[in-house]
Amino acid sequence: MSELSAKHLVSGVDHAAFPTFDPVATVRFYRDTLGFPVVHSICAAGWGPDDHPDFIHFFFDIGNDDRIAFFYYFGLEAPETSRGKGDVYARFGSDTPEFFVRSRHIALHVNSEEHLLEYRRRLDASDWPVEMQIQHETIESIYTHDPNGYFFEITRALRPVTPQEDLDANLTIDALVDILQQPGASMDALLVRKAELIMERAENWQDEQEAERELIPSPEGPVRR
Amino acid sequence: MTARLFVLDVPENVPIVEIARGYPGVSLEKVGPYFVLAAESNVTVDRRSTGVRHAVWYSWVGGLEGWQIEQWDRDAFRLVPR
Ligand SMILES: [Fe+2]
Repeated sequence: MSELSAKHLVSGVDHAAFPTFDPVATVRFYRDTLGFPVVHSICAAGWGPDDHPDFIHFFFDIGNDDRIAFFYYFGLEAPETSRGKGDVYARFGSDTPEFFVRSRHIALHVNSEEHLLEYRRRLDASDWPVEMQIQHETIESIYTHDPNGYFFEITRALRPVTPQEDLDANLTIDALVDILQQPGASMDALLVRKAELIMERAENWQDEQEAERELIPSPEGPVRR
Repeated sequence: MTARLFVLDVPENVPIVEIARGYPGVSLEKVGPYFVLAAESNVTVDRRSTGVRHAVWYSWVGGLEGWQIEQWDRDAFRLVPR
């Protein structure tokens, strides 16, 4: 047995994820009201089973390197949730697609592949073996359901996050907020709007990054070289 | 008219950009941290030739100008003029 087997290896919440039917209000709440920066986003074409729709997966920094994340599915009707108890997206009908049910989960963070595989080993030896191990865009995750039926993820970064991913996430979210002013918005509309924002802002961003790199620390704060 | 496709410059996307820039009539530029693939006509990227994993294949596109996506599946990504 390896020396890892007795150690506590997770380091907090990587992300807690939820579906949203109102990304505009979600952005207003987390970014504009609370001031949580948008730090990551995925614009993905739907594929695979379940007629998976195109979707945007976007992340807000909640401090401590942790994130709260949302899934917005283009064209998916919001469920009827005006009756019953529990928060609004907890009452899943029997015809709810599996991808939607799974979009609500907590993911804990580990610092290395070795640590991820150690948890895989522990789970696989238990009553709750790993159901999936997936390399996403920039993270690798294992998944299972806990004894309560809650979907549970442990994840590691495949590489460090690059600064341009923050820019890209912000352009995605601004484009999404813009296109949702019109009904029937699609991934196509998002990508067209995003191209316009890239043309408006990407060069400037690059110049600012380069200017920042030339700053050197001084007792009064950073100064230009 | 020249149509353009924007792709964020991150390591995962580079193999796809490398394949696409090699197609006849496709040019490659940079706008800030985005690659810009430009062409006058249809472009089809063969998924298998890129070697990227599924999650990357279905999320590499950053923006569209003058093109629309006609096909985006396990076989290919195809752009046609808008
Ligand atoms: Fe997750």
